[in-house]
Amino acid sequence: MTCKEYQHQITLFLYDELSESARFELETHLHNCESCQGAYESEKAMHSVLADDAIGWDDIPSDLLVESRKALADQLDRIEKKRSWWRMPAFSVVFTPMRMLESAALVAMGLALGVYVSNQRPVPLQTASNTGQDSQISLLRNGTISNLQVVNADPVTGQVELAGEVSQPLRFQGKMEDDTVRNLLFSALRDANNPGSRLKAVEILSQKPTDESIEEALINALVYDDDAGVRMRALEGLKKFADEQHVRAAFMHTLQNDDTAGIRIAAIDALMAHNSKDPAFAKSLEEAAKNDDNAYIRSKVLQFVGTSR
Amino acid sequence: MEAILKRTAQRVHESEDEKLLIEQAQNGDREAFEQLVRRHDRDILRLAFHMLGNREEAREVFQETFLKAYRSLGRFRFESSFYTWIYRIATNVSLDHLRKRQTLKEEISYESDTEMHPDRPALKDTLAATTYYSNPERRLYGKEVGEKIQEALKTLSEKERLVFELRHYQGLRLKMIGEIMGSTEETAKNYLFRATQKLRAYLTNV
Repeated sequence: MTCKEYQHQITLFLYDELSESARFELETHLHNCESCQGAYESEKAMHSVLADDAIGWDDIPSDLLVESRKALADQLDRIEKKRSWWRMPAFSVVFTPMRMLESAALVAMGLALGVYVSNQRPVPLQTASNTGQDSQISLLRNGTISNLQVVNADPVTGQVELAGEVSQPLRFQGKMEDDTVRNLLFSALRDANNPGSRLKAVEILSQKPTDESIEEALINALVYDDDAGVRMRALEGLKKFADEQHVRAAFMHTLQNDDTAGIRIAAIDALMAHNSKDPAFAKSLEEAAKNDDNAYIRSKVLQFVGTSR
Repeated sequence: MEAILKRTAQRVHESEDEKLLIEQAQNGDREAFEQLVRRHDRDILRLAFHMLGNREEAREVFQETFLKAYRSLGRFRFESSFYTWIYRIATNVSLDHLRKRQTLKEEISYESDTEMHPDRPALKDTLAATTYYSNPERRLYGKEVGEKIQEALKTLSEKERLVFELRHYQGLRLKMIGEIMGSTEETAKNYLFRATQKLRAYLTNV
């Protein structure tokens, strides 16, 4: 191998991308070749500068992550809403009285039945064979069916496909550690039409915010919920983690953007109680709150900045 | 040995779990799709943020990536890992944005923008103000060196920039980078080599 080829390998060596044997060969060559050793030293110095630059790149602003997730969820909601509109009878190209009669007759003949449930979001197509008779009977007995339409009916095979919406009563019991319980609580927290349910959910989640997903749900509620009560409860649940970077970022966001002075006061109190008085943090706090409408917040921040000097 | 076995078992469990989530999401289970998103969204946002250097475009890339994944998940055939697949989408979307930006840059002259609207801050200042360096913590750290490196990164071609980003900042192995690019490890090695040479040339001259 020529010196040029060895020098080509130095980059890979510094990125730990050489095989054991190639690495050994290069090290041996560097030991014996002054020119390549010089190239190695120079490359290593450059690598070290670049590596220093990479420190801290792991961090992304946590409010950016929260914002991006929210925007994506909204967009997915919009897509799914649009899809369910197209499944409404008024828009369905197959919803004709003739098709209804045809399919009703096929159902009456006891031929295969596929129930396709559209509950505002696409759901897997269930068939009579994979759900079993009992579950279908229970689905029809306990649930309320609306917007039912015939998607397809094949007179030759006797296959019928129906689409509609089923609302079923739900009672579920379990511990907070259970994924289903947590997911149901997260769903309750996203229920835009029911602030009471969101408040209850945030209260329960605040009791054990040790899990990262719960912490994120609380941050989401603090930053985006329209209801001040829900935001305040989320903030209380997160208080003890106000020294953690992403919680601190969410509190700073609240301090700068929340319309409710009481919540901003709670945010600044938590930030001051759980963060050390280092000048850089005091400076950020001062920037965030120096123009606040509320005199108490302004005086609190001045006091904090004063004692941190 | 026990730790290795435990880690292997954990990885097997995670990959089986992920396979199940993908299948559920392919069948229209939004909750499963959201769980998949949560597993990878930090990495994708970090990549977008670093590649594009500002919040707005990073958010757009993030959204576009996962919406594309959502729409085409039905076509995912488990021929690569989901991680590789989603990274491939994200890198393509990021490159598209960089290309669009390049076109825009050619169309808009910063100077004329300022001349036409003297009351507004110059576009270049606005862009600069929303870059990664607008983060106060970042400002404190070696701003000058960091800015020089940022300038140097602009001298790289798209592919060189991408490979350097994925290897140096995201810490991915070159083999995986090759897969993400739909190419080989050898190609990724060459891009990395060329990228570091160009950076060295630029940084030693300033």
